[in-house]
Amino acid sequence: MEEKDKKNLLLRQAKITLNFGVIVLVFCVLWLMQHSIFPKMFDFSAVEEPIISEADNLTPYEPLLELDSADIENGIHVPSGLIVDDGVDIVMTTCGACHSLSLVTQNRATKEGWKDIIVWMQETQKLWDLGDNEEIILNYLAKNYAPENEGRRRNLVVEEWYNL
Amino acid sequence: MENKDKQGRRKFITQSALALLSASIGSKIVFGENLTEDIQPLGLDDKGAGRLIPGKSDKLKILNDKPWNAETPPHLLDPEVTPASLMFVRNNGIPPEEVDIDTWTLEIDGESVKQKKTYTLKELAQKFQHYSYNLTLECGGNGRAEFNPPAKGNQWGLGAVACTKWTGVRLKDVLNDVGLKDDAVYIGYYGADTHLSGDPGKVVISRGVPIAKAMEEETLLAWAMNDQPIPVMNGFPLRLVIGGWPASVSGKWLTRISVRDKVHDGPKMEGQSYRIPKFPVPPGTKVPDEHMKIIESMPVKSIITYPKTGAIVGKGKSVEVRGHAWAGDLEVKEMHVSIDFGVSWKKCELKAPKNRLAWQRWSIDLTLPEFGYYEVWARATDENGKSQPMVLPGWNPKGYLNNACHRIALKQA
Repeated sequence: MEEKDKKNLLLRQAKITLNFGVIVLVFCVLWLMQHSIFPKMFDFSAVEEPIISEADNLTPYEPLLELDSADIENGIHVPSGLIVDDGVDIVMTTCGACHSLSLVTQNRATKEGWKDIIVWMQETQKLWDLGDNEEIILNYLAKNYAPENEGRRRNLVVEEWYNL
Repeated sequence: MENKDKQGRRKFITQSALALLSASIGSKIVFGENLTEDIQPLGLDDKGAGRLIPGKSDKLKILNDKPWNAETPPHLLDPEVTPASLMFVRNNGIPPEEVDIDTWTLEIDGESVKQKKTYTLKELAQKFQHYSYNLTLECGGNGRAEFNPPAKGNQWGLGAVACTKWTGVRLKDVLNDVGLKDDAVYIGYYGADTHLSGDPGKVVISRGVPIAKAMEEETLLAWAMNDQPIPVMNGFPLRLVIGGWPASVSGKWLTRISVRDKVHDGPKMEGQSYRIPKFPVPPGTKVPDEHMKIIESMPVKSIITYPKTGAIVGKGKSVEVRGHAWAGDLEVKEMHVSIDFGVSWKKCELKAPKNRLAWQRWSIDLTLPEFGYYEVWARATDENGKSQPMVLPGWNPKGYLNNACHRIALKQA
């Protein structure tokens, strides 16, 4: 009888130690996860809090005036987003004088189409006569920003799959 | 020092704007005084992707930073009333930098007014009854990015649309106060934004609508959006709001309205701007100006705002799919979705609009039948029985009116 009680006591102590160990282990794992894998795991305030720019923050647009070769990555001039090719400097200073160069990079047209856009800007938006630069600009745009045939509906592109 | 002066001035302007609003709406704007002060300017890169649009969320997709143009990712359009910081920005020029609401005036002139009349903001707010409506504004070029061959301009995806609460006075009450002649045909607006070329005399954009649309009850001269001053980028301190038509008819930073005895002929009314061919044309056709007609009511359209595309749904679990639908001047009568590329369509629950020209909520619980890749296609039908096309609608030179079904991708795990 006494033998059995002693055995039970030992067993209970062993169980308590084991449970305690498991709890410590779980906390260690949680701490590790929070610390190195999901630093924002317990930071509920950081979830989906969008940054809203305030009205005083009207920084004036500054045209890019020269092409610094240090800004080129994988054939793209990073500050402007333009593809680096013959004539990119002229495109940057001419087009970027009045409007954002993202208006160039997001459009696609044939040489004739780009010419139409230049004519439209000259007729309605005060663009000046481009002289000899026009041919350089047109060749650059027609080569690097040509239309691609995408049919009546293109395939969906999913940037990131997530569990709902 | 200069910067500080400017901040001080802006603060003054904001406070007086709030005073006017509080006085005119009749309720205090509790957090108004915190509007600008508590938010520290963020360290920003002057050029490129790091730039933020004043008063706007960093979650907007910036298409252009001179002039500012940005759209809302569709899943952020989920609330019934679009938050001000998430409403798209479509600017043709540079918004006015200094706005003093105490001296801001609206002039009504043109061939078809009995006499010219000028109102201060205070006079507008005191003299006429106030109305609030939720109004859907969609850029005529929303969806342009999908046209093939491509059309020039900002390459809008899905998010140049919003439905916010607008407060102001009815344009018709003001025009009736001015007095119109019988020969009035059209109105045209003028705003205080400046041309990109820097020429102060050059009007950026001046469009308008026929008198009948101008005199509708929901056509507002608005000074508040979602019970706050209108965001700088969306027309502070005063703008026209004309729901259901291309948003370019809803003039921002409004200073003048001309009542015309002919179709208004301001910049971007004529030529190819906000016009489509009078008859269907093959993709890529050059259409002469005389064969183009002005876009009026926008076509039926819908978006899926939940879930965000790319969701992986657990086996056997149902998912609520929901969004909004609108139809220009009309109401949306039915809403369907398909998960099998149009082979079969399921009817969704569709709510009535909060008021005329507000978008309508729709929702449906879907269960994906088995493991695999799915697309949810959403299709609205208007009260005349017209539905959204699954492929791109008729090609047009400037890429307007793309109301093809919105789709999202889903997977069942």
